[in-house]
Amino acid sequence: MKKFITILFVCFGLASYGQTTINPDTVCANAVGEQYFVTNTPTSTYNWTITGGSGVLQTGQGTNSITVDWGGVSGLYPNAVEVIESNASGCPGAPILLDVFVLNLTGNAIGPFCAGDPTTALVGNPAGGTWSGTGVVANAFQPSTVGVGNYVLTYSMGGCNTTINVTVNNGPVTGPIQHF
Amino acid sequence: MKRILFILFLLVGFTASSQCVLNESHVISPAGPYSPGQTVTVWYTLGTFTGININWIHAFQINLGVGWTNLTPTGAPSNVGGSVGNWLWDLQHTYPSGFNFGPGWRFVNTGNAGWGTSATGPFIISFQITVAQTCTADDLSISIEIFDDCTTGGWSNGGCCVDPAYNIYNGTVQLPLIITSNINHF
Repeated sequence: MKKFITILFVCFGLASYGQTTINPDTVCANAVGEQYFVTNTPTSTYNWTITGGSGVLQTGQGTNSITVDWGGVSGLYPNAVEVIESNASGCPGAPILLDVFVLNLTGNAIGPFCAGDPTTALVGNPAGGTWSGTGVVANAFQPSTVGVGNYVLTYSMGGCNTTINVTVNNGPVTGPIQHF
Repeated sequence: MKRILFILFLLVGFTASSQCVLNESHVISPAGPYSPGQTVTVWYTLGTFTGININWIHAFQINLGVGWTNLTPTGAPSNVGGSVGNWLWDLQHTYPSGFNFGPGWRFVNTGNAGWGTSATGPFIISFQITVAQTCTADDLSISIEIFDDCTTGGWSNGGCCVDPAYNIYNGTVQLPLIITSNINHF
């Protein structure tokens, strides 16, 4: 058992230490508390700079790990995260940079529907994501398969989500043909 | 004609090699390279000073690169058989001729001002220096220059003006590499 726990510990430790973020990094619009870090040298200090994307450094300046809140404007922000490590003598190293892509998902509104209406394609921006929710099949909404009501559909991409509300109403009830 | 040229060649050769300092050596501890904050001790020995045309020795000047600090004298040269006077540690001194000296030891002849000393060595000096705190690869060169009448202007009959500086160390401050990992995002 001890051996198993040791192996788990080693694997977890290696996985944590060796984590690598692909450049550019992607964050969701209006994300808060996003953590960025470099390997820590205890005698060093770290000066972080956040540029573009309406990013605001929230915690951790001077340390090897910070948190950042990002804005809502989608786009690629080159060198948005920069860190310069200084050793115990105060000598700075080379700046380390990371580009950040702020991903702001939106979904086109659809409906309201009547029960029995035909299937309607769901459109998300940017394209390439996945729709999910009640009545969603292959990125399309099927009013005929759900009952009357309000539904929340979710569009997902790159770990980010956005939702739209869809309403399905009763269809018209047509009585029997009358003959005056 | 060949004979004249040969004689001229011999004369030129003799003049070029007519330095007064002989048998220079040194010990430096610890050996380089050096990092900020490191203290180094230097011992320099001048085996013999032969004052051509009665040029007497006047001073030992320590030349240091900008990367050094805290120069501290630890051993003055001796004056065995020399003139009346003493070796004085000085950071800077301007001789009557206008020649600027320092830092190092200069001989103060209390009998005949400006004469230097008739001692011929051996002379041993020692000093400590420390590598200054820096973030750049500053110069850490160390050399010693010997000045005599010819240089200080204390005697008009030149003869030891060509003594080159004795090089003890050439190098720059060794800076620790700062290697920062890539930025990771949880």
